[in-house]
Amino acid sequence: MATRRVWARAGMGLAVAGAVGLGLLAMPAGAGAAPELPPVSAEDLVASVIQSKDPGPLHGTVTLDNQLGLPAIPGVPQAANGSSTAQVWSDGAGKGRLSIPSSQGEKTIVDDGTTVWAWDSADRTVTKKAVGTDTHTPPEATATDPAAAAAKAVQDLRATSSVDVDGTATVAGRPAYELVLRPLPSERTLLREVRVAVDSEKRIPLQLTVLANGSSDPALQVGFTQLDFGAQDPALFAFTPPPGSTVTDAPARPGGAQQHEQGQEPTVVGDGWDTVVIATLPPADQQPAPGRDGAPDLSSLGKPVSGAWGSGREIDTAVATAIITDDGRVAAGAVPAQVLTEALAK
Amino acid sequence: MTASLVETGTTPHRGSAPMGRLLGAEMRWVLRRPRTLVMLGLFALVPILIAIGVVVADRGGNGLIGAIAGNGLVLPVVAMTLMLALLLPLAVGMAAADAIAGEAAHGTLRGLLLAPVGRGRLVVMKAFGVLVVTVVATLVVAVVGVVAGLVVVGGADGTLVTLSGTTLGFGEAMGRVGIAALWTVGQLAAVGAIALAISAFTEHPLVVLASVLGGLIVFGVLGAIPALDWLAPYLLTTGFSAGADVLRDPMSWGDIGGSTLRALCYIAIGGGITTSRMLTRDA
Repeated sequence: MATRRVWARAGMGLAVAGAVGLGLLAMPAGAGAAPELPPVSAEDLVASVIQSKDPGPLHGTVTLDNQLGLPAIPGVPQAANGSSTAQVWSDGAGKGRLSIPSSQGEKTIVDDGTTVWAWDSADRTVTKKAVGTDTHTPPEATATDPAAAAAKAVQDLRATSSVDVDGTATVAGRPAYELVLRPLPSERTLLREVRVAVDSEKRIPLQLTVLANGSSDPALQVGFTQLDFGAQDPALFAFTPPPGSTVTDAPARPGGAQQHEQGQEPTVVGDGWDTVVIATLPPADQQPAPGRDGAPDLSSLGKPVSGAWGSGREIDTAVATAIITDDGRVAAGAVPAQVLTEALAK
Repeated sequence: MTASLVETGTTPHRGSAPMGRLLGAEMRWVLRRPRTLVMLGLFALVPILIAIGVVVADRGGNGLIGAIAGNGLVLPVVAMTLMLALLLPLAVGMAAADAIAGEAAHGTLRGLLLAPVGRGRLVVMKAFGVLVVTVVATLVVAVVGVVAGLVVVGGADGTLVTLSGTTLGFGEAMGRVGIAALWTVGQLAAVGAIALAISAFTEHPLVVLASVLGGLIVFGVLGAIPALDWLAPYLLTTGFSAGADVLRDPMSWGDIGGSTLRALCYIAIGGGITTSRMLTRDA
C-alpha cells in the first residue's frame, strides 16, 4: 500500500531526525565566530579592569577544568584531573551565595551580610562565622590612580613576558577581550601562555586559561560558562539552618595561619616566570599525623631524585614541578626540574 | 489473548474502532497481566526496604541514601533515581518485549497485523501500553516512597531539607517529587521506545529484555571509561543521575533539561524505527 510506504518512510525520517538531534545535543556549546570589538591596548584593558565597578547583582555558573596532572593525593579528590562546576550569586551589595554541587550532595556557602553560613549536605553540618563589615573594604590598588597602576603593572610584566590583547572571544555568551601573557624566550618555564578573557562591557575577568608547553589543551581553565546580570531573589542570600542539622561556630583563627608562623619564611629564587620558591617544612614531630584532614600524606608521591644539592622526591605536573628534599626543604615553581635543582644548590 | 481487541476488530464499523477504546483495551490488557502486577508489587517493596534500612542503620550514611535519614520526603526521589539504573528499565523492557515480540512468539501478531486496525494505530496502541506500564511503575515507586518516607522515616516536620540546606514545605516538596517522576517517565519512555524498536525486529521476547539490560550495562561501562568521554553526550545513561537535581534549591534545570532532550531524541529514533518496521513488515 502506498500510504503505508509513505508512513514507513516518515518513520525512518523521524528516526534520522532523532539521531541528528542527538548529534546536535552532543556538540559542544561552541565558540562561535569571534565578536567584533573596538581595539584596545593592553594598558587600557588592564586599567579598565582595575577601574571597573562592582558588576552588580549576578548569577553565574563557574566551571573549573583541571588537567594539571597532579598526582592523586589521598583525601583530596578535588585536586585530580577533571572538571567541576559551582554556582555563584551576588546581590551586588556584599551578600553572596556559592553552591558546589556534587553528584551525591552539595556544599553551600551563604554570606548574608553579617554571617557566613557554610552547609555541607554530606554530614548535614552548618558552620557559621560572623563577619565584620571591614572585610569588604576595597583593595588599596583602587585608591591609587588606576591608569598609572595599570601602566606600572603592565610594565613590570613586560620585563619577563609579552602582554598583548590577542583578539576577542565569546565567553559565557558575552563578548570578551583576550589578554594574553606569554613568557619571553629567556624565561625557563613550563608555561606557554596565560589567557584572561575580560568582559567587553563590564570589564570583569570572565575566564582564566593556563596553557603549558607541549599541549594544545589548557592545563587549567576556570571561568564562567553562564552569566546573567540582574536582580536576584533576596531569599538566596538568607540561610536558616534546616531541622536536623548541626550548627557549629567556626574556629576563631584558621589553622593555616598558625602553621605558617611555625615554618620559616620561604625564600624566593629568580623572578618572573622562572621564580622558584623554597620553603622549609616544619620538623617531622610537629607535623600533623598524615591522613588527618588538611594534611594529606605526601610521603608516597613523586619519584626519587638526587644530585649535588642532596636527594629528595620530584613531583611533576603539567604546569609546575616540586622537589621535596629529604632534609625537609620544598622547592616549587612553574619550571623544569633542572631550574629547581640549581635553586636548591645555591 | 486480546479478547477485547478481537471484539473491536469485528465491530460493524470495520477499521474505524475509536482510538480511545483501543487504548483502553490495551491498558486493561497490559495491567491485567499477572507478571506486571507481581512486578509492581515487588517495586513497591523497594522504597519500603530502603526506608527500613535507613531507620535501622540510624546514622548518616554516604551519598544520597544518607540524605534520607530524618528527611523522609527525599526517599521517593532517591528510590526513583536508584531504580532508574536497572529495575525500572526492566519493567519497561518486559512490557515492550511482550508488546510486539511476545505477540509474534505466540503467533498472535499475525492476527493483529491482518485485523482491520490500521498498523499505525497498532504501533500507537502498543507504545501506549508500554507507556502505561512505565507511568504506573514510576507512580508506584513515587507514592510508596512518599508514604514510606513520611511513616517509616519521618522527620523534618513534613518538610524536605534540600541538598542545598534549605527547607521546602510539603506542597513544594510534592512538586519536586512530581518533577522527578515526570523526568523519570521521560527517561524510561526513551528506553521503552528503543525496546519497542528491537521488539519489532524479533519474535523472541528474551532478545528484547537482554538487549535493554545489556545495552544499559554497556552504556554504563562506556560512560565510565575516561578515554571515551566524548561519547558521554550520546549515551542515555549519562543523564540518569540528574534526578537528584530536584533536591537542590534553587533547582538546577540544566541537566534535567539536557537529559530530557536526549531522551526525546531516543524516543524519536525508537518510535521512528518501530513505525517504519511495523508498517513494512509482512503479516
